[in-house]
Amino acid sequence: MSQSYDRGLIEDFGRWREFTAGMWAWVFHKFTGWVLIGYLFTHISVLSTSMQGAETYNQTLSGLEGLALVRLLEVGLLAVAVFHILNGIRLLFVDLGVGLESQDKSFYASLVLTGVIVVASVPTFVSGAF
Amino acid sequence: MAQRYSSFSSGSTAWLLQRITAAFLVVVLAFHFFNLHFVHHAYEIEFAGSQARMQNIGYFVTMILFLLTATFHGVNGVYNALVNQGIDGAQKRIAQVVLGAAALLLVVQGIRVANTLAGF
Repeated sequence: MSQSYDRGLIEDFGRWREFTAGMWAWVFHKFTGWVLIGYLFTHISVLSTSMQGAETYNQTLSGLEGLALVRLLEVGLLAVAVFHILNGIRLLFVDLGVGLESQDKSFYASLVLTGVIVVASVPTFVSGAF
Repeated sequence: MAQRYSSFSSGSTAWLLQRITAAFLVVVLAFHFFNLHFVHHAYEIEFAGSQARMQNIGYFVTMILFLLTATFHGVNGVYNALVNQGIDGAQKRIAQVVLGAAALLLVVQGIRVANTLAGF
């Protein structure tokens, strides 16, 4: 069963040098969560151009996808989403009481797997942008 | 030693819903990324293709559920992050109203967009 654990005040980021793996996992999960919900609002805004007609929608999307910066930001979004998914799966297992003794290892595995998936996806994401 | 820390008060409805939506979103977000970046490339997306996908009722329903669950999960996550930062009393109430209104606007606009793309 779960135990109470005095982790100290993680919201005090001045203590970052003292953070353990679990605290970094918490910080990264919060950061990637903020990025994803921010992106969701942006995503619906961009897709809303469909309400102005097919031509506006197509011009908006092709205009954005034609910018190298947008392609690079999409790679960043992929990194954020993949980490949030993998660390989220890890958290669901933690909540189920599975793998409690390997939380550090599963966090490092989430980071490495995120890196591998993102690097492998770069060619697809930036194809034709440069 | 086994240690467990959660941002949420265990046992609450919001705590459970955050995890149920998480389990759904893990699958659907991965599908969404894979479908619109690898099966179809983002730079090739056009209205006709979006319309064809959204006219498939299974895809349409999945996207609506995606919108609803992502909005709840994200907005509830932001609210809990703010509670972790120490907001209380009136600040909590303001956060609930502002985030609730933002979530409602996002869902309404998202459904309007989905209907437009599907041609409903």
